[in-house]
Amino acid sequence: MAKVPITIEVNGESYEGLVKNSTTLLDFIRQNLFLTGTKKGCDTGECGACTVILDGKVVNSCLVLAVDTNGSRVTTIEGIGQGQYPHPLQTAFVRHGAIQCGYCTPGMLMSSKALLDRNPNPSETDIKIALSGNLCRCGSYLKIIEAIKSASKK
Amino acid sequence: MIMEEDYVVVGKKVPRLDAMDKATGGLKFVSDLFLPGILVGKVLRSPLAHAKILHIDRSRAERLPGVKAVITANDTPRRKFCMNPAWKNNMILQDEKVRYVGDQVAAVAAIDDDTALEAISLIRVDYEPLPAVFDPEEAMQPGAPQIHLEENNIALHGVRNFGDVDKGFHEADYICEGTYYSPPVAHCCIEPRGCIAAYDSRGKLTVWATTQTSHALREELSEVLGISQNKISVFQAPMGGAFGSRLGMDPIDGIAAILSMKSHRPVKLINTREEEFLSSRIRYPMKIWIKSGAKKNGRLIAREIKVITDNGAYNHEGGYVIGNAASKLAQLYAVPNMRYEGFLVYTNNVYGGAFRGYGNPQITYAMETQLDQIAEALNMDPAEIRLLNANQPYSMTASGCKITSCGLAECINKVVEVSNWKLKRGKQSSKGRGIGIACMMHGGSGVKFFWGKDCNFSSAIIKINTDGSVDLLTGSAELGQGSNTTLAMIAAEELGVSLSAVNVVNGDTDTTPACGGAWGSRQTFTAGNAVRLAAGEAKKQIFEVASELLGVLAKDLKIRDGEIFVSENRTKYITVEQAAAESWRNRGQPIIGKGVNKDPWSVQPDNMGYGNVSSAYAFAAQVAEVEIDVETGVVNVLNFWCGHDVGMAINPLGAECQIEGGVISIGLGYALMENLILHGGKVQNTNFADYKIPTMLDSCHTETYFIETLDEHGPFGAKGVGEPAMIPSAAAISNAIYDAIGVRVNALPITPEKILQTLSEKKKRLSNAGG
Repeated sequence: MAKVPITIEVNGESYEGLVKNSTTLLDFIRQNLFLTGTKKGCDTGECGACTVILDGKVVNSCLVLAVDTNGSRVTTIEGIGQGQYPHPLQTAFVRHGAIQCGYCTPGMLMSSKALLDRNPNPSETDIKIALSGNLCRCGSYLKIIEAIKSASKK
Repeated sequence: MIMEEDYVVVGKKVPRLDAMDKATGGLKFVSDLFLPGILVGKVLRSPLAHAKILHIDRSRAERLPGVKAVITANDTPRRKFCMNPAWKNNMILQDEKVRYVGDQVAAVAAIDDDTALEAISLIRVDYEPLPAVFDPEEAMQPGAPQIHLEENNIALHGVRNFGDVDKGFHEADYICEGTYYSPPVAHCCIEPRGCIAAYDSRGKLTVWATTQTSHALREELSEVLGISQNKISVFQAPMGGAFGSRLGMDPIDGIAAILSMKSHRPVKLINTREEEFLSSRIRYPMKIWIKSGAKKNGRLIAREIKVITDNGAYNHEGGYVIGNAASKLAQLYAVPNMRYEGFLVYTNNVYGGAFRGYGNPQITYAMETQLDQIAEALNMDPAEIRLLNANQPYSMTASGCKITSCGLAECINKVVEVSNWKLKRGKQSSKGRGIGIACMMHGGSGVKFFWGKDCNFSSAIIKINTDGSVDLLTGSAELGQGSNTTLAMIAAEELGVSLSAVNVVNGDTDTTPACGGAWGSRQTFTAGNAVRLAAGEAKKQIFEVASELLGVLAKDLKIRDGEIFVSENRTKYITVEQAAAESWRNRGQPIIGKGVNKDPWSVQPDNMGYGNVSSAYAFAAQVAEVEIDVETGVVNVLNFWCGHDVGMAINPLGAECQIEGGVISIGLGYALMENLILHGGKVQNTNFADYKIPTMLDSCHTETYFIETLDEHGPFGAKGVGEPAMIPSAAAISNAIYDAIGVRVNALPITPEKILQTLSEKKKRLSNAGG
């Protein structure tokens, strides 16, 4: 299959790549850019592990074609905070025990960040609805809600 | 001896050591790892439930550019495997027959996903379909299609007898019988299972595996591949969930290894989500007939069950699971007379494995739902009948379990108190609300079922470095349950250093000493005790140095906050760093402590299941409050109150996460919504849209209370908590539903359809009775 050139800004840095028409944004991020923080859980848009922020909107990156993101801005988990300078949400998740196996965590954090960006003081219902597309099998939902509430007060 | 109130590290709420790495997306799971030249592995799976493999033509696949290896059973040593070698009848690639839809037939390694998928589609397999059977009761009938060599497809037939059950029923004042059904359910780890296998020119195989048991996996790979263990390195990769699914080798582990051997390149083989549903392990489905007898004061005196368990197409852990389920009859409430008969039956369905609770959730659902019926018949409050029957500390069960610590009564009293049970029970049905209780008993330290007569050991090595920091090498597995953090806390407390001074290396067969791994809620207790032993040895070495330098007897030394001293005013002291450096530099003796915990207090049960199967037992009581919409049948779980005897909560935050988490995802899902639907042996709902697991919208208010009974054998008194978290949850919900609307659904999951159906049946019964 012929490859198509794309230029995309990820976490503030510009990248060029050659992708097949069928390559998802998720695979491009993970395999071309080696940004493996965004996870593949189902590849069919049902678990939310691949959540990223695309041009300001929260999306399942497994449902977005990389070719459709030419010229777009993407934020992944690597772009919201790192190491010594974590995002307040990351600090809150850690402190409240909202992370067990950690596989859903990047997706949860991206959905949480998108929520707080548009609604800095969400109610518990707002939180549940915003994160209803992020599955967690370890069952950390209650601690995640606590963490988001705590981060939203800052 | 360190007194509880003086603990510096254990007993405190501590965030997981790896939490920030997970929060930033930095922690690398198997699918995040890349090696130069790595290939993508894919498996060709059978579309048929039962068929002979006549011929495999792989030539077109082999010719496809980008394909580096195509393998069938011919490329393997054709060795059968199973966790219990006495039961082995599975192969990593089937040679003669396929026995379920999803069975492995061939595999490829190629340069990318698309090429690998195309190669799979080019392999042509000629099958001769055979008659298949999907219901275990049908499979047991003479004339049913034969799946393996066993007559009537009965893989195992087990009986157990303790006391005199017929006499018990004869003396009972009330007898209750019922049949319950527990469906096939999937683990649904958010991370699909996978591995990377890299076979190099030295003949060494390295595997990064999603495994709960690194050392056992190495053994199994060695057996099935015909490579000696010292030529296999298994690294336990961080895992996105496990819940039992990653206990023991999966065929994809062996397949990836053979692909790597053939292609001379590393191979990454990760299940798709569809494969996770289609061909991954499941909770063993059970049909349970149970009869209980009680005296009129509520004391249970006899129990009998017959269980038919769908083993699926191959042996894996079914024999152990049904044994564990059977053991609960004589364990919970110490029923003195018990009889069990169980059949483990092959079918052409996907086969089961370990799943959080290991047979106990299924049997507890039946026992605890039936107990409520008994309570109602005897006009007793369900909490009261459980208190009456509650196991006591330092007691024996008819099956030979030596209970040490036991806080079951306290657990019941606690949840009764905090849920306002007395105000609510039997009083909210006009609002469509109800409250229900269920209890459980489970091993809190692992068991000696597996691998041999006495094989529930854990071992650990502790090294103290010249700066006083500590390396803890443990063969245990970190599944995301927080084991590494718990073990580090135990080491830090024992060694008198800060938690941040402890570095944990786990699950690496090259560098960490062997450990049974993560199953049976065993690691806190069993690995924790090994860590304590290792720390004790390291401390002895440090104290020898310190005693010489300080001029005091080693037996008078204490250690805390990184310092070694005699009296609390610490006029004379030496730091751990100084002592370790002194030993290393001036005495030629690096500080290395080794601990092997053989779990000396438990035994392998005999053929009749008699024996003290665990060194310590966990107990719990949970109360659920539900609200039901009788128009739609939808059950909304409002609240859960959980009282858990954990011995001692080493990390209360971690333990709370486990309990809450167990209730609101796996527990709730098992009770209300999860069911793998098989048709013609093929799983129909192979995605999260059709197999629903709880989302955040389903989560209910949950309160967790620790009852700390300080087990005499547990590290700082601790016992296991992982599986107990969800074992009673389904029964608590079922009993709450009965309180709300007066119906019982005896077949999980309790879906809206079943609620409406049972309500309608109840209405008919009442109108027939009236008319």
